[in-house]
Amino acid sequence: MLEPKLFQDLMAAVGAQGLLTEPEDLRPYECDGLSAYRQVPQAVVLPEDEAQVIAVLKVCRQAKVPVVPRGAGTGLSGGALPHAHGVVLSLTRLTRILNIDPQACTAVVQPGVRNLAISEAVAPYGLYYAPDPSSQIACTIGGNVAENSGGVHCLKYGLTVHNIRRVRGVLINGEIIEVGNEALDAPGYDLLAALNGSEGLLAVITEITVKLTPKPQLAQCVLAAFDDVVKAGTAVSNIIAAGIIPAGLEMMDQAATRAVEDFVHAGYPLDAASILLCESDGTPEEVAEEIERVTKVLEAAGASEIRVSRDEAERLKFWAGRKAAFPAVGRITPDYYCMDGTIPRHTLPEVLAGIEALSKEYGLRCANVFHAGDGNLHPLIMFDANIPGELERAESFGGRILELCVRMGGTITGEHGVGIEKINQMCVQFSREELEAFHALRDAFDPYELLNPGKAIPTLRRCAEFGAMHVHHHETRFPELPRF
Amino acid sequence: MRQRQRPSPKALQKLLARLAPHFGERLVTGAAVCAQHGHGEGMREPMPPDAVVFPLSNEEVALAVRACYEEDVPVIAFGTGTSLEGHVQALHGGLCIDLMRLNRVLEVSAADLDCQVQAGVTREQLNREIRDQGLFFPIDPGADASLGGMAATRASGTNAVRYGTMRDNVLGLTVVTAEGRIIHTGGRARKSSAGYDLTRLFIGSEGTLGIITELRLKLYGMPEAISSAVCQFHDLAAAVNTVIMAMQLGIPVARIEILDERQMEACIRYSHLDEFQAAPTLFFEFHGSKKSVAEQAEQMQAVSDENGGSDYRWAVQPEERSRLWKARHNAYYASMAMAPGKEGFSTDACVPISRLAECLLETKIEAAATGLHHSIVGHVGDGNFHLLIAYDPALAQERALAEDLARAVALRAIRLGGTCTGEHGVGLHKLDFLRQEHGAALGLMRAIKVALDPRNLMNPGKTIPEALPGEIESLHE
Repeated sequence: MLEPKLFQDLMAAVGAQGLLTEPEDLRPYECDGLSAYRQVPQAVVLPEDEAQVIAVLKVCRQAKVPVVPRGAGTGLSGGALPHAHGVVLSLTRLTRILNIDPQACTAVVQPGVRNLAISEAVAPYGLYYAPDPSSQIACTIGGNVAENSGGVHCLKYGLTVHNIRRVRGVLINGEIIEVGNEALDAPGYDLLAALNGSEGLLAVITEITVKLTPKPQLAQCVLAAFDDVVKAGTAVSNIIAAGIIPAGLEMMDQAATRAVEDFVHAGYPLDAASILLCESDGTPEEVAEEIERVTKVLEAAGASEIRVSRDEAERLKFWAGRKAAFPAVGRITPDYYCMDGTIPRHTLPEVLAGIEALSKEYGLRCANVFHAGDGNLHPLIMFDANIPGELERAESFGGRILELCVRMGGTITGEHGVGIEKINQMCVQFSREELEAFHALRDAFDPYELLNPGKAIPTLRRCAEFGAMHVHHHETRFPELPRF
Repeated sequence: MRQRQRPSPKALQKLLARLAPHFGERLVTGAAVCAQHGHGEGMREPMPPDAVVFPLSNEEVALAVRACYEEDVPVIAFGTGTSLEGHVQALHGGLCIDLMRLNRVLEVSAADLDCQVQAGVTREQLNREIRDQGLFFPIDPGADASLGGMAATRASGTNAVRYGTMRDNVLGLTVVTAEGRIIHTGGRARKSSAGYDLTRLFIGSEGTLGIITELRLKLYGMPEAISSAVCQFHDLAAAVNTVIMAMQLGIPVARIEILDERQMEACIRYSHLDEFQAAPTLFFEFHGSKKSVAEQAEQMQAVSDENGGSDYRWAVQPEERSRLWKARHNAYYASMAMAPGKEGFSTDACVPISRLAECLLETKIEAAATGLHHSIVGHVGDGNFHLLIAYDPALAQERALAEDLARAVALRAIRLGGTCTGEHGVGLHKLDFLRQEHGAALGLMRAIKVALDPRNLMNPGKTIPEALPGEIESLHE
C-alpha cells in the first residue's frame, strides 16, 4: 500500500492519468521478459514528458523510494523487475520522434519510441537504424540504450553503443544531463558509453540522438549445411579470418532447425547437424563478390550444401526461421532456459564440443541458436520443470556453460544484460577491484542507490556469500538462475 | 575535487627513497630528462616533473603508482610526448611514468582479428609487426604515437569515417588505478553487457583516472585493393555537399579529406601538385576488392559531377596515390612554408556534417578578418576540421589575435551542436570550453574523478575543469 504522502506527491507529479496503484493495474508490470521473477510494485507512474520525469524523480529522491525505469518490458534478464517498496517509471508515453536530419544521418527520438518505428520513420530518406534485436517490433530505443542491445546485424554495424550519438537524461536528484555529441566526439569522460548498458542504474533517459545508416542497395543470404557442428564453428572462424565481415552470420544446430521447420517451414535441410546463415549487403557487385568469397570458405570448411537466396522473398524466408527459433523451441519443450554467453570467435568449435559433451552428461537436450559472427551463444536448454530434479540439472548445466565461456576469455552476457538473472555470475567474471570500480561509477551518478537497486552490479557482500556457497555446494553454483 | 599542490620536499624524498632500490637507474631526476618529459607538441610552456621512472611491467607501474598514492605525490603517464593540448605538463610536479619501455606486442590472433599490446607500442611498430599476417590497425593520428597514449586521448585520424576512432577499436584495457591496483576492463568477447563500460571510461580520460598499461585492439584484414581520387570544386559548400551525398548513399569511403583553396595553394607549391588549381579540393581513398574499389570510385565521380566538381582524377598506381596523400600529410608544413618565421597551431573543431559548410564559411570570413596566415584541412566525413593559424611569436598582439580566433572557432562549433575537440583532446588547453559544452554532466564527470581518484593524484589539473568559485562542485552536495 502506498503511503498517503507519497501517493499525493506522485499524483501531483503526473496526475491521475499517469499514476497506477490498483492491484489489477499493477499486475502487468510485475515482470519483464524474464517471467521467472515476479514482484508487484507499489505504484507505476507513466509520465508524459521530461518535466514529469523530473518531478517523479524528485519525489522519490525525497521519500527515498527506489525507482525502476521500464521501457516495453521485453528484457530477458529481469532488469525491469519491480522493487517491492519501489515505483516503476514507465517511459512508454514518451513516443515522439523529435527531429530527423537526413544530411547528418541522425534522428532525435524520445525513449519510448519502438526500435522498428525509427527505421519506418526514416525509410523515406533511404536510411534505417541498424541495431535490430529480435524483439524490435516491440522493444523501445530507451530500453535498447539501457541494455546496449545487439541483434543479428551488429556484427557489421555495431551494438547500440556504436549507433548512439547523444543522450539526454535525468539523474535521481532531478538534474538534467546531456552526454555525447551530435558530432563525432565529445571531450571529457565518455559518459555516453557509461550510460549504454547501465540497466537503468545511472539515469533515466529522456531523449536519444541515434545514428542512421544508409539502406544497402541489395542484401543476399547464403545458407550452408554441415554434417558436423564443429565444422560449422570452424567455418565461422575461417570467414572472419579471411577478413570478411558479413552483415550477419548466424548458426543453428539440428535441434533448433528441426524445431523451427515444424513451426515456420523455412525450408532448412533437416539432416544437417548444423546450418549457417551468412548475409552480405552493399552494391550488387560487392554482394556478388563477397558471396563468391564466402562460398569458397564454406566449401573448404566442408559444407555439405550451399544455397544462395535467389530473391528477397527467399532471403526473408531464410531469416524467418532464425528469428522464430525461440518460440519454435518453446513449442517442443515444456520449459527452456536461454543462455547468453559470449566467447572469442576462435574458441567456437571447442565450446560447441564442450556444450555437446555437457548435454550428454546432464541428459538434457540443448538447441543452439546464436550470433556466431561475434561469438554470442544462445544455447536453449530444454527441460520439464514438473519432473523432480530436472530444473536443478538445467540450472547446473547452464552454469557450467557460462563458466566455460568465462574460462575461454568470454563473458557471461553478450547482449541480454545482467539484471537480476546473472547478478551472481558477475562475481565469477569480475574481481573485487573491478566491482569496486563499478560501484564507484554508480555512486557518482546515484549515491543514494535509488535507481534500480539490486540489479546489474552485485554488492561485495553478496559475492562473498556467493563464494562461500560455491565452496559448500559445488553442484549448485548458480542457485538464483531463473525458473521458466 | 581536492585542491592539488606540489608535493612537499619531504614527500618527494620519501617517494624517491622507496622507488630507488627497485628501479635503480630507471628512476631519473636529472634536469634534462625531466625537461624532456615536461611538454608535448602544443603551444603550452613546458612544466617538468620532479622525477621520471621507466617501468618494465604492469606490476612495476602499479608499484610506482601505489608509492605515489601513499606519499601523496602526483602521477603523470607519458608516451611519445606528441599530444597537442598540454596533456603531459606536470602542472603540480610529481612523478612522470614513461611507458615507452612497455613496448611488446604480446599476442596477435588472426582468427579473432585482435591483438594484445603493451601501452608503449607505437601504431607504426604494431603495423610493421602484423603486416606479414595480412592485418592492419587503421587509426592514424599525425604522429607515430604510442597506442596507450592514443587510447588515453581517444585519438583518431584520417580514416575514422570508415574505421572509427580509438573508442571503436579498443576491446579491453589493463589499467593501474589511482591506488596502484591492476584491473582489467572489457575483454576478448566482441560484445558484453556485463558491468559498466569502464573501457570507454578510461579511453579519453587522459591519464586522470588511471594508467593504461595494456590494450586489446581490434585488427582488420588488409584491403585487397586501394585507390585514390581527387576532385576540385568552385566553392567549399559544393565540396561538403558531395561528401554529404556520398555518406547518404553509403559509399564506404575509407578517407575523405577537404582542403580549402589557401591550403591547396600551399600544397601545390610545397608538393609540386602542378596539375591542380588553388580551389577547394577533396581527396578520397577507397579500400576493398579490386571490383568494389572501382565501383566506389565511379559512384564518387557521379556524386562529384552532380555537385559541379571538375577534374576528377582517379589514381590506382601506388606511386601516384602516395604522391597525392603525401601532399595531404604534409599540409601543415606546406601551409607554414607560406609564412616563414612564424609559428603555427591548429584548432580541432568538429560539427554535425549538416552544419559543416556553414561552419567552414563563417570560420573563413573570421580568419580572413584577422589578417593572419591561415588555411583549412579537414577529415570532412566526420565533420572534423583543423584551421591552421600562423602567428609571429615575437608579437604578443599577433599571438593574442590567433588565440582569440581559435577560441571563436571552438565556440562556434559548440554553438552548431558540435565540439571544441574532435580528436586532439582537452589537456590543459581546452578546459574552459568544457564548461560551455557540458552543463550538469561536468559535475558528474567531477564526481567520477573524485570516485576513482579521491586524492586527485592522477594527472591533476587536466581534462575536467575544477569548479569555479560559486560553481557547484558536485551534483549531490
